[in-house]
Amino acid sequence: MSEKTYSTAELMACVMSRHLQDGEVAIMGAVSMIPMAACRMAQETHAPNLYYIAGGSGAVNPHLEPLVFSSCDDENLRSDAAMALPDVILLEGHGKRLDVFFGGGLQIDKYGNCNLVCIGDWDKPALRGPGTVGLPFLPRAGRVVIYTTSHNARTLVEKVDFNSGPGFLDGPEGWAAKGLPGNGPALVVTPLCAMDFDEKSKIMRLKSVHPGVTVEQVVENTGFKLIVPEHVPTTPEPTETELKALRQIDPTGVARNLI
Amino acid sequence: MGRTQKLMSAREAVSHWVGDRCESLAVGGMHMHNNPMALIREIIRQGKKIKRLITSPSADINADLLIGAGLVEEILTAYVGFEHLGLAPNFRRAVETKSMRLLECDEPFIVYGLQAGAGGLPFIPYPKGLELNDLHKINPEMYRFTTDPYTGDEVMTAAPIKPSVALVHCQEADPYGNALFKGSEFTDRQMVMAADTVIIQAEKIVPDLARKYGSTKVNVPGFLVSAVVEAPYGCHPTSSHGYYTFDEAHLKEYIKACKTPETFAAYLQHYVTGIPEEEYAGRIGTERLQALSKRGESE
Repeated sequence: MSEKTYSTAELMACVMSRHLQDGEVAIMGAVSMIPMAACRMAQETHAPNLYYIAGGSGAVNPHLEPLVFSSCDDENLRSDAAMALPDVILLEGHGKRLDVFFGGGLQIDKYGNCNLVCIGDWDKPALRGPGTVGLPFLPRAGRVVIYTTSHNARTLVEKVDFNSGPGFLDGPEGWAAKGLPGNGPALVVTPLCAMDFDEKSKIMRLKSVHPGVTVEQVVENTGFKLIVPEHVPTTPEPTETELKALRQIDPTGVARNLI
Repeated sequence: MGRTQKLMSAREAVSHWVGDRCESLAVGGMHMHNNPMALIREIIRQGKKIKRLITSPSADINADLLIGAGLVEEILTAYVGFEHLGLAPNFRRAVETKSMRLLECDEPFIVYGLQAGAGGLPFIPYPKGLELNDLHKINPEMYRFTTDPYTGDEVMTAAPIKPSVALVHCQEADPYGNALFKGSEFTDRQMVMAADTVIIQAEKIVPDLARKYGSTKVNVPGFLVSAVVEAPYGCHPTSSHGYYTFDEAHLKEYIKACKTPETFAAYLQHYVTGIPEEEYAGRIGTERLQALSKRGESE
C-alpha cells in the first residue's frame, strides 16, 4: 500500500475509461475533472474514436493537455469542434445521440437516482445544493455513469431527498412502464469501489473493490442494502499504458490530486 | 442624418435602461466565465431592485453578488455555485433562510424558455422522461402539462422567458451594438433575443468589427441592443473567453468574505460601492490582471 504509484482519482478515471467504448459519444457537466480525464485517456488508449462534449462550453473533443478545472473554461475550445449550448441541450433531448452521460449528486440512491438540489425538505432544506442543471436529461441518455468523490452513508442513501437526476426511479416496474429511450444507470464509481446494477431488481450491486478496500468497508459506508455477489474482484490497478496516458494529459494533477 | 451610436458609460447605461425595480433582469455568462460583472456592480451601486433575477443554466458570482447585496426578490435558476470552488454562499443562505423566493428549474427550462420568449412561441414541450424528476412537483405553477396533439400523450412544457432587461458580456462590439463572442456563447445570445432591453458590455469597441472578423462571426445584431459599454476586464473576477482567465484567488477571497455580514459589507465597499466602475481595474491591480490575460489571450 505504501508504494502505491497512483492516486484514487486516477484509479477512478481508469475505471470510467475502461467502460467507454470506441465510437461512442459522452457528455459531462460541471466539476467533471475525473470524467474528462477518463475520456481523454480512453481516446489515447483503446477508444480513439470516442467523442466527448465538455458541458457548457459546447466543446467537442477538447484537446486538453493539461486538464482544466472548469467545464466552461475557454481552454476546452482547443477542440475538434464547438457547438452553441442551446444546440447541445437540443441534442441531449434527442434520445439517440449521446451514449454516455456522466452524472452525480449530493445524494445517490440505490436505484441510481441523483440529487443536486437539497438535503432534507425542499421547502426547509438542511443543506441547499447548487441546483440540477442538465441532470433531468439522464433518462434520455444511452446509459449513465455516476461518480462521487465521497463514498459514505450520507451520499449513498436508500432514497434521495429530491430526485433531480432520475435513475431507475422507484424500481424495475416503474422504470419499464415509462418506455424511455435510455438504458439508465450502468456504472457507479467511488473512491472505494465500482458498482453496477442488478438486471432484475435494478438495485446497485458491488462490482469490484479498489485495491486495499474491503467489502465490509464498502457495505459499512453505504446507506442502503447493497447487493454483494459471492465473489467480488479487486479493481485492476492502472496499467503502465494507462498511467502514462493519464500523466501526459494531467501533468499538473488537476484530476490526480482530487483524492 | 448619421447613425446613432449606443456607446455610454456603465453608469449611464444602468441608470437609463434599468428601472428602479426591474421586473425581470437576465444576467449572462456561465459558471465563472463571461459574467457581465461591470454592469452588475453598477446595478448594486445604483441600488436597483430586481423583482426577478434570471440566470443562465449555471450562475456564479453574477447572481451571488446581487443576492448578497439584498437586491433580489426572487430568482429563476437551475444552478448557482462556484463549480470546483464550492457552493454559492449568499444564494445558499438566502434560500435556506427564505429571504429570497426560489423559482427552481432545470437547464432546458431556461434554454427552451428563452427560445420561446425570443420567437413568440406560447411554450415549448419537453421530450418524454424530463418530467421524471421532482421539479414540477415543487413548482406546479411553472411546470405545466398539456396534451400532445399528435400522440395524445401528456407532455410537460416550458413557458416563455422574456426578461425586461438582459446584461450580457461580449468580447468585442461596434458602437452600434453589433457584437461577437470570441469563445463560448452559452445562452447569452438567447437572452439577447428574448429580452426587451439589452445592455452589452465589451472588452473592446471595434468600429469595423464585421470587416475584421466577417459578418457571420458578428452574431449579435445591433438592432437588438440598446446600449454598449466599454468594459475592459469587465468580467473580473470571472473569465472573458479569449481575453483572460478567471481569478481563482479573488473568487476564493469573495467566498471567504461572504462568511459574515461585516466581511461581506467590507468586500462590497472595497470593490463595488466605494468606487466608480472606472476605478475597479485599478483596485485589482494592472499587474494581476495582465497575469490573468496571458493564458486566455488568443489573437
